[in-house]
Amino acid sequence: MVGKTAERRNREVLVSHLIQAGFLVGLIVIWYLAATRWGVNRLLLPNPVAVYDNLFDILRSGEFIDDLETTLGELAIAFAISVAGGVMLGYLISRSPYWIAVFEPLLAAIYSIPIILFLPLFVLFFGLGPASKIALGASISFFPIVINTIAGFGHVDRLFVTAARSMGASDYHLFRHVLLPAASPMILTGLRMGFTTALLSIIGSETLASLAGLGHRIVHLAEAMEMARMFAYIVFVIAIAVALNAIVSALEARGKRN
Amino acid sequence: MLTRRPWSARLLVIAALLALWEIAARWFVDPLFLSPPSQVIASLDEVFSTRGVPAALQLTLFELTVAFVLAVAIGLVLGLAIGLQPLVRRSFFPIVLLLYGMPQVTILPLFILFFGIGAASKIAFGVTHGVFPVIVTVVAGVQNLKPILLTSARSMGASRWQIFRHVIFPHMVPSFFAGMRLGMSGVLLGVLLAELYVSIAGIGYFTTLFTQNFDPTKLLGLIGVLAAMAIVLNAIVRRAEARFARWRTE
Amino acid sequence: MATAEAAIKVRGVFHQFGEEGDRRFVRALTDTSLDVVRGELLCLIGPSGCGKSTLLNIIGGLMEPSSGTVEVQGQQVCGPLPRDIAFVFQENSLFPWNTVIENVELGMTFQGVAKSERAARAAYALEAVGLKEFAQHYPAQLSGGMRQRAALARALSLETPILLMDEPFGALDEQTRMILGEDLSVLLARSRKTIVFVTHSLGEAVFLADRVAVFSARPGSIKQVIVVDEPHPRKPEFVTSAKFTSLRNELYGLLHDEIRKAVQQ
Repeated sequence: MVGKTAERRNREVLVSHLIQAGFLVGLIVIWYLAATRWGVNRLLLPNPVAVYDNLFDILRSGEFIDDLETTLGELAIAFAISVAGGVMLGYLISRSPYWIAVFEPLLAAIYSIPIILFLPLFVLFFGLGPASKIALGASISFFPIVINTIAGFGHVDRLFVTAARSMGASDYHLFRHVLLPAASPMILTGLRMGFTTALLSIIGSETLASLAGLGHRIVHLAEAMEMARMFAYIVFVIAIAVALNAIVSALEARGKRN
Repeated sequence: MLTRRPWSARLLVIAALLALWEIAARWFVDPLFLSPPSQVIASLDEVFSTRGVPAALQLTLFELTVAFVLAVAIGLVLGLAIGLQPLVRRSFFPIVLLLYGMPQVTILPLFILFFGIGAASKIAFGVTHGVFPVIVTVVAGVQNLKPILLTSARSMGASRWQIFRHVIFPHMVPSFFAGMRLGMSGVLLGVLLAELYVSIAGIGYFTTLFTQNFDPTKLLGLIGVLAAMAIVLNAIVRRAEARFARWRTE
Repeated sequence: MATAEAAIKVRGVFHQFGEEGDRRFVRALTDTSLDVVRGELLCLIGPSGCGKSTLLNIIGGLMEPSSGTVEVQGQQVCGPLPRDIAFVFQENSLFPWNTVIENVELGMTFQGVAKSERAARAAYALEAVGLKEFAQHYPAQLSGGMRQRAALARALSLETPILLMDEPFGALDEQTRMILGEDLSVLLARSRKTIVFVTHSLGEAVFLADRVAVFSARPGSIKQVIVVDEPHPRKPEFVTSAKFTSLRNELYGLLHDEIRKAVQQ
């Protein structure tokens, strides 16, 4: 048929928003009823009001600060390592199509295995402290960064390089004014992917084997069966993760705009 | 020349890395922390003969298979339900994307509390990781159908069912297989995360055991077997994708 | 042509896209009326955006006009008529996941042809357009010209009395167009179908058509109808004849101002 008129489309958007709101509200209502009226075991499903209270308490008392510091600290160091290593190695490999052909499939193949499998090894090596989380986070987030950096630098049109060289550009000029700007969209994407992966890996490894950090806190509360507080922390961690990812995505978009 | 073809150079690189590992583990690193690959491979039979390891590996493989099948089936049904109706898509696709981007590992302890330490929780956690890429790719496959193909079918008198069966569905199949590939990665991550978390049974018990006993040989052996499992499963799905998405020349 | 039977009757068709005040409001057709005689090939030609494709879609029941009526073979059109009308579109409308012959057979499946008949009709249609050797190929493996032949075969296999063709050769290069145009003329001379053919090309219109309806710029209506009195199948020599040139010039004269108007819109 002809395709929707603007009026029909706007109405559809409005209805869809109503459905979304209704869906979310409905979920919360069901949760509330299940926890209070329908007799679902409080050891499994806490009262949403209790969760809210706990969340408020956590935020007000600043109890979260130590764990947040630990997690963000591990994240920052792991990310810094994987960025430095990944971009550098990616650039070096990209300098020759031959090396790209050699390394790129290798890196892609390794990345396809769930590297979280190696966490026990890192724990064996570094213990239960932050070092093992940093090592795992850096190992996993290294790959999207190096792969995208190789793709970014590797796909720079040879024409640009030739044009710049013909005007007498030095190696440094070439890198700074041709290669880097041309490659930066893909590199930025790789950095964003590396960041989200690092965050996930760090929280994951804290959940599996740690003595501190947000992931560990959730496990600790689960073992103590403090359901309401655990749910509150889950909400908190998800909110932090969403916020961080949103910031990083916005930075990526801004970086790409120029 | 050995290094002329990329694949042979790749083998050389792998061999060089293995050699580096061997040398470092033999002479430079405390054997409590790292074992050389030669020793790991030699001790593989010891790993398999450790009581409970083969059963745990079998169970993990079982969980991976079941989780994958469920994730793909549920993902396909939900993906079609969401992708085919514009209003449903507008309402629920953003919710799907939101859930897809959520750090699911935060609710891992919850899954174990709800479903116990047995296979059910591992399968469930695997499904929640694997289902989202399938939904997203199926929706995309249904969405990017060229309108001219729908118009053409309509002009020839196709019924709604015929349009679904002969136009929308075949068009969506390549995206579906790509989604399956991502779904397998998700299932691998979910199931293995859950397995590693539960340290009193399954694979997690043995990784914890070998770690606490400072036995890097057996630990590396076990990890190696699991990694090999992951590689094989990924390869199977990729093969299936290559075979069934033949007509997509782009 | 009041005595000859009209296979298609278009009466007072107006069509607009969107509502007045919308950003994308467009008046496509205004007070368009037309009779298409049974067995003739009528070309619709006009500047870009004049609504000729829109009119074709309305005639074929793919769109409902804002006002006015269309009658096909005596019945009012209010939806696709797969038994009466087959389309050939400009864009590649073959299903890329099916081979050529599967595509042709699928069209018949949609129309409701019995399974036992499909294979024979498909083979016949592919032979008629010269694609017999390519039946098992996928569309991606064919050139643009061959794909349009396949689309034509699909339309022919439906054995409808009316064929609606929307710039079927528009995406092809000049040489392919020439060949396909000649082949089409031969094909249609045999089949006596009623055809409405939209085109941008003056030469193509004069070569193929019995009558050419010239559209004005948007909002489109029929400015004039020119008769091409030349028997089918048209010979390649027709193109270089004086009659051809004079008709083409007549078309050019009618169209030139409209094209200028359209460009300024």
